[in-house]
Amino acid sequence: MVVMLFDEGRSETLMGEEEDDDIPFTQPSTSQVQKGLEKLTPAQVDQKTAEVVQYFLMKDQKKIPVRRADLVKHVVKEYRNIYPEIMKRTARTFEQVFGLKLVEIDFKNHVYILINKLETLEGAPVRSPSNPKMGLLFVILSVIFMKGGAVKETLVWNTLKKLRVDPGEKHEEFGDVKRLVTDEFVRQRYLEYVRIPHTEPLEHEFRWGQRAELEVSKIKILEFMGELHDRDPQSWSQQYKEATTPSSSSQPSTSSQR
Amino acid sequence: MRRARGDGAEESPRQNGTAGRRRGEQRADSGDGDDAGGGLGPADMPEEDNDPGLRREIRSKYRDLINSVQQNREDMLSPSNNKLHEVLEEANKLFRDVRQAREAALDAQLLVVATDLGKEKASQLFVEGNAFDPSAFAEHLLSFMGLNRLEEGDEEQQHGGGVDGYLPQDAWHRVAERAERCFRTAPCFHYMMGSFHAEPPPPKQRIERQRKAPSKEVKRIMPTQLKKMEESQQEATEKEVERILGYLRGYYADEPTSPISYYEFVIDPKSFSRTVENIFHTSFLIRDGLARMYLDESKLPCIAPVEEGEVENGGLSSRKQCIISISLRSWRELIDALDISEPLIHPPTSQSVSQ
Repeated sequence: MVVMLFDEGRSETLMGEEEDDDIPFTQPSTSQVQKGLEKLTPAQVDQKTAEVVQYFLMKDQKKIPVRRADLVKHVVKEYRNIYPEIMKRTARTFEQVFGLKLVEIDFKNHVYILINKLETLEGAPVRSPSNPKMGLLFVILSVIFMKGGAVKETLVWNTLKKLRVDPGEKHEEFGDVKRLVTDEFVRQRYLEYVRIPHTEPLEHEFRWGQRAELEVSKIKILEFMGELHDRDPQSWSQQYKEATTPSSSSQPSTSSQR
Repeated sequence: MRRARGDGAEESPRQNGTAGRRRGEQRADSGDGDDAGGGLGPADMPEEDNDPGLRREIRSKYRDLINSVQQNREDMLSPSNNKLHEVLEEANKLFRDVRQAREAALDAQLLVVATDLGKEKASQLFVEGNAFDPSAFAEHLLSFMGLNRLEEGDEEQQHGGGVDGYLPQDAWHRVAERAERCFRTAPCFHYMMGSFHAEPPPPKQRIERQRKAPSKEVKRIMPTQLKKMEESQQEATEKEVERILGYLRGYYADEPTSPISYYEFVIDPKSFSRTVENIFHTSFLIRDGLARMYLDESKLPCIAPVEEGEVENGGLSSRKQCIISISLRSWRELIDALDISEPLIHPPTSQSVSQ
């Protein structure tokens, strides 16, 4: 399901420097979309949808979110007048064909990511070689979560050092750790790395990013914590509450399918 | 409330009311001998205010305190650690000698750092059951990763303050595998067959053509050679088997009542390899049902030809299989035991196979 804002006729400014010479993308109204569809054959619309699907799949390899501006400029192009219809179909394709969810994580700047609709089953065989970076990310996310949602960066670095990962040194497995954590993970929207005001010297805070909020199951993290510490996950009452409350901000709202 | 000493020295900006700070002594009244500044009497106070050495010392001690809180923050966070209390007591003592703005500023900075820490400690207490200790987490995770903890410290050096030991190569893979279960990540898209190669194929074709030419000639020669070999082998075996059958029938015909000992039959006392060949060829007779083996009263194997008429009646049902092996040693023992001096199966005269 795609969460979309249907701004009737209101112009949107494109984000980013590269869009200077482009006509700002205006979200077309429903009537405009209807008119646009009448002028095209179903095959044409299907073709364009397929192209958008493929674009997303390619971009998702690196887990970098897709911006609407780029999508319109590079793929949708002259079909922009039926953009909402294409996105609707794209979302449906992902859902029904791939079992994936297309989610808008930034309503202001119109940025999308793909996540899995399906949960991994407990006993399922590992489907592909695991990516050690996920392990590192997991450690950081866990610490943030267990500590209430935001931690000073020093805490993260110190914890990693205990695991023999030093941001100041090149790591065998991860290379430039600082860059991986503060740049790559942040661009992928797994983490947020924000400045704490009035700190001298400058300090940052780590929080969960939008992708993490959508992709990561807090209760499953808590379960793993329980296994590691040999404790009942419920004994962390605060965190357990956080993990079991469905929060409106973290789950994408669904729109009805046509 | 503290009164600043007269004469132009800057007033201390510190006011009452900060938590945990004990106020008290009015400098004017008491004549503390045990000041941090060193035991000057009240009359010398103004000078003490301006003594640069003393000022520096105070500032330096404040900086030390601030550093110690910042460096050891995590340790001090631990509920069992009381260092913060000590720091505050130290600061209290130092504060008595604060006269100038610079020192007071440092005092203020220390206060910010200390209260921040204090706040965190307090919040920990409030949610005692929810406390999460990242150090313990790290320890557990290292175990999960398969850390091989060493009994004694090796000269192998120091990993970030942690336990010595070897982490296996796949340590992070293990974590990743377990961690991925908590994620709902979309699987990565990749082409199954890879992308197409832009390289031109012609070079390969040339090589193939060159190779084909010689191979054809070789092939022409091969068939004729092979045929010869196969025939000779097959023929040789068949002939030999027939020959042995002949011997067997001959001996049997001579003395139908006297059983032929199997070993006496096959063993060639002059050649071990011949013996093995005889066993090999005799087995064909057995397989084809032209001869049969049985055990006599002494449980020694005997061999006898099968009558012409019996061949088909033998039937598959009554057939049994066995494996016969013979070693050099057993061969010699048999020769001795059975007193074999002459082979019953004479070696063929035109034999080209080496012995």
